[in-house]
Amino acid sequence: MDVENGEGQVQVHLKTKQEHYAVPDVPYAIDGTVATVELNTFVNALLQQKDGAVVDFDFLVFDEYLRGRLCDHLREKAISFEDAIEIEYVERFPAPEPQDCLLHDDWVSAVKASGKWILSGCYDNTLNIWTNKGKHILTIPGHTAPIKAVDWISLDEEKGRFVSTSQDQTAMLWQWNVAANSVECVSVCKGHERGVDSVSVSPDGQRFATGSWDTMLKVWSAELEDSAEGTSKRMKESGVRTPKMTLQGHRESISAVQWMDASTLLTGSWDHTLKVWDLSLEGIKTEISTNKSIFDASYSKLNRLILTASADKNLRLYDARTNQGSVVRNTYLGHNAWVQTVMWSTTEEFLFVSGAYDNQNKLWDCRSPKAPLYDLLGHGEKVLDIDWSNPNYIISGGADNSVRIFKSRKAVSDDVEIK
Amino acid sequence: MTKKLTLKRKGKEPEPTNEVAASSEASDNEEEEDLLQAVKDPGEDSTDDEGIDQEYQSDSNDEVEFESDEEGNYLGRKQAGGSSAEDDEESDDEEEEEEEDDDDDSEEEENEDTPSTSKPIPADDKPSSSSSAANKSTTNELPKRDPSKPEYQDSDTSDEEDIRNTVGNIPMHWYDEYKHIGYDWDAKKIVKPQQGDRIDEFLRKIEDPDFWRSVKDPLTGQEVRLTDEDIALIKRITKGRISNEEHDEYAPWIEWFTSEVEKMPIKNVPDHKRSFLPSVSEKKRVSRMVHALKMGWMKTTEEVEREKQAKRGPKFYMLWETDTSREHMRRIHDPVSAPKRDLPGHAESYNPPPEYLFDAKETKEWLKLKDEPHKRKLHFMPQKFKSLREVPAYSRYLRERFLRCLDLYLCPRAKRVKLNIDAEYLIPKLPSPRDLQPFPTVESLVYRGHTDLVRSVSVEPKGEYLVSGSDDKTVKIWEIATGRCIRTIETDEVVRCVAWCPNPKLSIIAVATGNRLLLVNPKVGDKVLVKKTDDLLAEAPKQDVIESERIKVAVQWSTAEADEQEKGVRVVITHFKPIRQVTWHGRGDYLATVMPEGANRSALIHQLSKRRSQIPFSKSKGLIQCVLFHPVKPCFFVATQHNIRIYDLVKQELVKKLLTNSKWISGMSIHPKGDNLLVSTYDKKMLWFDLDLSTKPYQTMRLHRNAVRSVAFHLRYPLFASGSDDQAVIVSHGMVYNDLLQNPLIVPLKKLQTHEKRDEFGVLDVTWHPVQPWVFSTGADCTIRLYT
Repeated sequence: MDVENGEGQVQVHLKTKQEHYAVPDVPYAIDGTVATVELNTFVNALLQQKDGAVVDFDFLVFDEYLRGRLCDHLREKAISFEDAIEIEYVERFPAPEPQDCLLHDDWVSAVKASGKWILSGCYDNTLNIWTNKGKHILTIPGHTAPIKAVDWISLDEEKGRFVSTSQDQTAMLWQWNVAANSVECVSVCKGHERGVDSVSVSPDGQRFATGSWDTMLKVWSAELEDSAEGTSKRMKESGVRTPKMTLQGHRESISAVQWMDASTLLTGSWDHTLKVWDLSLEGIKTEISTNKSIFDASYSKLNRLILTASADKNLRLYDARTNQGSVVRNTYLGHNAWVQTVMWSTTEEFLFVSGAYDNQNKLWDCRSPKAPLYDLLGHGEKVLDIDWSNPNYIISGGADNSVRIFKSRKAVSDDVEIK
Repeated sequence: MTKKLTLKRKGKEPEPTNEVAASSEASDNEEEEDLLQAVKDPGEDSTDDEGIDQEYQSDSNDEVEFESDEEGNYLGRKQAGGSSAEDDEESDDEEEEEEEDDDDDSEEEENEDTPSTSKPIPADDKPSSSSSAANKSTTNELPKRDPSKPEYQDSDTSDEEDIRNTVGNIPMHWYDEYKHIGYDWDAKKIVKPQQGDRIDEFLRKIEDPDFWRSVKDPLTGQEVRLTDEDIALIKRITKGRISNEEHDEYAPWIEWFTSEVEKMPIKNVPDHKRSFLPSVSEKKRVSRMVHALKMGWMKTTEEVEREKQAKRGPKFYMLWETDTSREHMRRIHDPVSAPKRDLPGHAESYNPPPEYLFDAKETKEWLKLKDEPHKRKLHFMPQKFKSLREVPAYSRYLRERFLRCLDLYLCPRAKRVKLNIDAEYLIPKLPSPRDLQPFPTVESLVYRGHTDLVRSVSVEPKGEYLVSGSDDKTVKIWEIATGRCIRTIETDEVVRCVAWCPNPKLSIIAVATGNRLLLVNPKVGDKVLVKKTDDLLAEAPKQDVIESERIKVAVQWSTAEADEQEKGVRVVITHFKPIRQVTWHGRGDYLATVMPEGANRSALIHQLSKRRSQIPFSKSKGLIQCVLFHPVKPCFFVATQHNIRIYDLVKQELVKKLLTNSKWISGMSIHPKGDNLLVSTYDKKMLWFDLDLSTKPYQTMRLHRNAVRSVAFHLRYPLFASGSDDQAVIVSHGMVYNDLLQNPLIVPLKKLQTHEKRDEFGVLDVTWHPVQPWVFSTGADCTIRLYT
């Protein structure tokens, strides 16, 4: 009875995957009412670090983050208090701190970072290149309608290539000479009949896929020289490019495109479906039906799960590999308005970021569905796009005409170690 | 008397002697005499009652009372009598004389009573007859009975008693007034003996040694001296012994019949064979009886007995039964209850509260209706009295009783069948809203930018953009997903209505602003389409039909000016009156406009491809509120203030007239299948018309608390929404089945109330996203809101 009230003792085993934080594997009897703070002091006392440094840990009980009291957590999961409970502790992901705010002239609808460069697409029809230190490098006009999506194709010391899509129904392929700080439009990809909402470059940088309001998914060559057959000479000269492949299947606008591997594409659409396309077959491999319009979808190569942001306040976790059982693996509730954008971390298996119309970015751990790890505040208006391609920086663009950069500290320390 | 007493006591009471002793003791106290208890005792029995005259008749009852009464009671009465006797000796004496009289009386009477009153003793009982014989002997010359002789040797009939007084069995006090006491056999008066006073009696008591054994014969009034035998007999009886002296109670028992069972037969002859052979006739009888028993013709004695018992035994009736069975028991099956009367109110009180009393005006009014009293509210004038005592007789009492009787007499005898219908039963079983998802539940986006109330909103057929028209004289085009205002088109006047062309191959918005209808190319979406539309609208087709003057006056088509061309305006259709509403035909070639002030030209139909206008109606049927094209048929709905008329545009005739029974129609929307029409009214109602069913509303919904401004059906989902001045958008499920027999299912789902109130206006327009289950509403608070 006491235990039920959280008064009694619970036997726990403390485990970790981080070896330098390992504690002897003996069962400890701890009070049921303990929360993360008490467990933290307890583990730190066990570790007794030489320099007295205190490490913040987070505690995983049965694959879910402990938030609140241990007894409540156990009760909720319907776990017997009599069993020995394994608690895994991981070093807490440090809070990202806001670093910079890049001001634009209009809403920023697309951001993408690569290395130290940040590419942003703006509603004033321009693309902007910034350094992650907040230095404005270039403004690229060219589109005739608001930019909806951008992506880097390749980037090295001298040259960078990127693609941008816009509501003017085109995608533009750009080449940027870093040293000369000049940019040229390699080609204009025409073929969509309405605004192009999403773009994704294949992992090998050879192709990119675009999804549009005309419900088509088109795959284009990302090469400098389009070797596609059948393109007329005149078109080649004018730099107009036609799609290598057009895939029809969605009934509504395609709002999200991502390459899962070299020949597989993931699309999310307003017609409430997620589709996985096999490009070698030029057909749909898997289809996941949801019950809301999908605004953004993100696939993680690390854990092969798909996250979607849809026309409600929730983020949903899907697994494209299974069709059995409940399709939605998890639901992350924390935003107060439509979640517009979501992206997995490229380095951390469990982490992802999301941006929503409630002017907030949130950093989540997929094992903590009830509450995000951190709220990344700063935007004064709707967040339209978020990017975590560079593990050091979480970048988001919003309707407050700004791009916010949040520095992710842990990654920084890792970098330091590597150096 | 004594005998009887004792006899009775013998029969009923275990220790009679005790009681006699007790009573005799009491009498001793009273009389203060050493009289023989046994003799005096019986006398006391009756004398204790002073009012003997009255009590005489009921004497036997008294006896019964005595028997049944407790001793204490009896004693108490005696003492009361005793005390009075002590007080006055003279009276005592007289009383004693009387007593003796009474004694005799009672004795005789007892004798006569015996047969009638005391049943257990038969009339010709031996002791009784013997006692009477004894009595006789005592009263007579007391002939000594020879004990050796049998008792009834002379005669054994008690009938031939020695009767000297022939008056018979009458109360002897009837002769109290007379000198005689009756008549003898010779019809001579029997003269009462000399009655001495108390002193005489006292003297006699002293002088006469036999006084104690002298008893007065009530029949003759003579003194009778009891013999020794008599006294012995009395003594024996009082002691509860057998009156016959010679009877030996302890005589040896002679066993005339032995009680022992003889083991050996007395007779020497063996039994006959048939005594142990079963009789054939008996066997037959038995078998017959067994058969009868088996067949149930005959009943065993046990059964008969049981039946008898059941019949004879106490019958039980249920006093309190269940309600259902009681009705069967009742002789009157369905009683008609008497009509109930009204309960009296405060006005009927003798001391009514002052507000119930008539003031001068009321009195006057009451009096005025003297000739038609039935018109009065009250048939009396409430009056105040200080107390109930002062209330005078009620003059109408008889009349009211009579009327009540009439009521009862004329009350309808027909049984009124009361229907008990559960209220729950009447409510149709509606599915739970959870099962009817998806439908909008939360506000997701707010489109801000207008500076005055937003009158109208319309969504692009593809669902990417939104157009809104506002009182700030602008039209704004929005990107739905982000809430971004793409473009603002300024106009000269208040924008009353915007409508995006439903044809996805055209990119046109019709904007009604002031007198002008602008056809605007929004320049969003497919560029090819935009270009094509521009080309289409750029040049006017050749007019091959000469328009009538009537139309020319009403409408002029023109291509927009250069500055307006910049904004996107392509064609301007100038009307002669302000336009209130514009609506497209489903194919996007025709559009209709409404000018409420236009009288008989208030509804116009324009054809875009030919740039031609028509005035479909020559006569005004009322103030036209809005018009609507049927989605599939060539029908045209015209809503006036009260009614909706449906015209066939091809045949040019009135098809149907829908009766809304409402005061003012505000808007209407037709189901995409075209068989159901929703009408919103300013009197807070929404009407659902099933056009195949009737011209009256299939259902009237009163979901809003204020005027309903707009209704809209979703094109794909079975949803409709309504916007009202109470700032609420109510989303309802409106399922229309293909099965014609199944009525549409209407379930209100969600009330979305996020608009702010401004100037008594709430939501002005609602419209659905063409694809998603999302609803847009425009409000007086200058915003457009998206609910998902």
